[in-house]
Amino acid sequence: MMWSAIKAFIIKELKLTFRSKASIFWIITWPAIWLLMTAYVFVPPAAGQPMTLKVGVVNYDVGSTSPFNGTTLIQILNESEYKGAKLFQVKVYENETLMLEDIRRGRLDGGFTIPKRFGENIIFGQARLKVYVGARSLQSAQIAESILRGFIQGLNNGISMRKVNETLRYIEIYSEKYMPKNLTIPVAGNRSWIEFMRDWMIGLASPINASFKDVKPKALTERSSILGWMTFGAIGMSLLYSGLIIGSTMAVREKEAGTLRRILASPATSTDMLVGKTLSGLITLGIMSAIIVILGVYPCGAKIIWSPMNPAHWLAIILLILVSIMVIGIGMILSLIAGTTESASNLSVVLGLMLAFIAGIWFPKSWLPTWMRFLADIFPATWAIDGMRSALVYGATAAELMPTFLKVLAATTISYLIGVFAYKKTLRKYVIA
Amino acid sequence: MLKVKYGVARSPSTEMSVDVCLTVRDVSKRFGDRAAVDGVSFKVHRGEIYGLLGPNGAGKTTLLSMIAGILEPDSGEISIDGLNALDPKTRGRVGYCPQEPIVYDDLTGLENMMFYAGLHGLSGGHVKQRCRKLLDQMGLGEYASRKVKTYSGGMKKRLSFAITLIGDPELLLLDEPTTGMDPRIRRSVWESILRIKEEGKTIILATHYMEEADELSDRVAIMDLGKIVAEGSPEDLKNRYGPKAVIDVELSKPATDPEAVIEEVKRYASEGRVMYRNDELRVHVDDPDVVAPKIVSELVGMGIGLKTLKITTPTLEDVFLRLTGRRLIEG
Repeated sequence: MMWSAIKAFIIKELKLTFRSKASIFWIITWPAIWLLMTAYVFVPPAAGQPMTLKVGVVNYDVGSTSPFNGTTLIQILNESEYKGAKLFQVKVYENETLMLEDIRRGRLDGGFTIPKRFGENIIFGQARLKVYVGARSLQSAQIAESILRGFIQGLNNGISMRKVNETLRYIEIYSEKYMPKNLTIPVAGNRSWIEFMRDWMIGLASPINASFKDVKPKALTERSSILGWMTFGAIGMSLLYSGLIIGSTMAVREKEAGTLRRILASPATSTDMLVGKTLSGLITLGIMSAIIVILGVYPCGAKIIWSPMNPAHWLAIILLILVSIMVIGIGMILSLIAGTTESASNLSVVLGLMLAFIAGIWFPKSWLPTWMRFLADIFPATWAIDGMRSALVYGATAAELMPTFLKVLAATTISYLIGVFAYKKTLRKYVIA
Repeated sequence: MLKVKYGVARSPSTEMSVDVCLTVRDVSKRFGDRAAVDGVSFKVHRGEIYGLLGPNGAGKTTLLSMIAGILEPDSGEISIDGLNALDPKTRGRVGYCPQEPIVYDDLTGLENMMFYAGLHGLSGGHVKQRCRKLLDQMGLGEYASRKVKTYSGGMKKRLSFAITLIGDPELLLLDEPTTGMDPRIRRSVWESILRIKEEGKTIILATHYMEEADELSDRVAIMDLGKIVAEGSPEDLKNRYGPKAVIDVELSKPATDPEAVIEEVKRYASEGRVMYRNDELRVHVDDPDVVAPKIVSELVGMGIGLKTLKITTPTLEDVFLRLTGRRLIEG
């Protein structure tokens, strides 16, 4: 191999690539648009934060002297919080018609109508409460309903416990007067009469005391981690179509420029051209990936961890190089069926974008239908991108990455070797033509 | 017609012992059932311009591709200074300029030169100087930093020549260097080719323009259907295969029945050779002073007006017609 020839190809290709407006669009602008859309439309800055519902309240239980009344409920709504965020933003209406009008127009997520004698009925029996579920957006309808149902459930439990405690206070007073001392209940494990009554009443009010603990993966809950995941999705998507274009147009671009025969007539060999173009492609894809990472981290707020002392992080970089070579190799195979630069580029963009969407690169596999999940499971580029994510977003170790690395290495070797065969065959075809 | 169509008629002078740069021996190349080059042999002397004259499809580009080492012959040998043309090291001795432009429009002239310099294994600080010198020689020095897309067709061709010279080759292969150019630019390209020859380079010039082969070549090989049908200096070929004279008649308007015109005029032509294209007749004759008035009379008798009539000497086109029975550029 002739190094001066390889270097000449690298310099020439980089100059032509970065002087072409079309290349700049696909390498920088398009992934930037996707990433910014993801960060500010699909995963907006509020994503991952508890949702605050806009609710309306019509309170007919005014002027009540009861210790619990409509005003108390409005106060509870205003003060309810979840993970430090207000659960409701309350707007009080004079009548139900006005509130329903706003719910129907999508201005509110829901509404409450508090009837007369609401507080009094809660204390001495069962109170009625009308709850309206609205929807400010398609996504929020289901969430609004579950939050409102959850709130009413919680309110019911709270009030029940207050009523139980109040009732127990009276039971204790009257039991001391009228019940024998040291009375135990054998079927309830010989508990004292008072203990038995307390547990029984609490069980009536709230039979199951469930405890909830947040153990969801941070990647799915924190916006920065979601964006970290998506940043590698943008890298994977851009790598796919750009790498395919680089590979599929490697020979045909020279043929169309009229330079192929002159290149082949020089002391440089077709292998020099292949190596030079592959290396320039890797540099281009590397620059593209770096730009996407910078865009992901700085304007968008993606969480990507990097430590030069962590071998897993270097293994992730090697995975990036391998997947780039693999995709360039697949592109060279495409050159067998694409006879012009235009058809090769179009085929590469369509195939690249399609694979990015259906092979679990842009969307998480869990969002995909079963058959697509199968495709994602067997597509080597998805292995590599997921490997990079696991190291640089979720903190996987080098040992954890090693099986992925070996699988990607094997797939890259096979893809590139078949690509080289296709490249040589394409060159022969072009020289004879 | 001479019985030389399927053999090579050589000028005796070509057999003289001289410094041979290129030897092509019995080379053939087939694409499927078609023989693109069929048993071709010739030698090119150092410092000469050797023309390959033939119509499109004669096999000139395939032959040049094999000399350039791009294509492998099915049989035969090609050696440049005694070395096999297919060896990548030998390719450094050859400067190949294909018919199509070999430059990248989005690179500057100098960047194009630097790229090809790299392909020829040239590196280091002196390369840029050499590139600039070659651009100066081709009159492109002041345009070196401009992108090639701003160049004219003639400038691009001169840049291609400069690129062809980048590796300081012994042998230059120029494939149809002026195809599609207007006469003024063609003339400037010819001047560039002659300047390159003055530097002592050996040039093989493949062309289908007989004026180009006539004007530039020291020796010409006439190719047709993959074979060399005659070889010699242009004058020698014209003397050996051309008619004594040629009468060119420009008609006042195109003939309504060209076949009838050809049939009538054929009676006065040498070996019956008459060409008709558009509103022009070209007649090979042995005795122009006697025949010219008869042709005029015949045409007037057919009701065909004449615009001009010229008695000229034969060209390589006439040689080609005599050897193959066809014109170089049909149409």
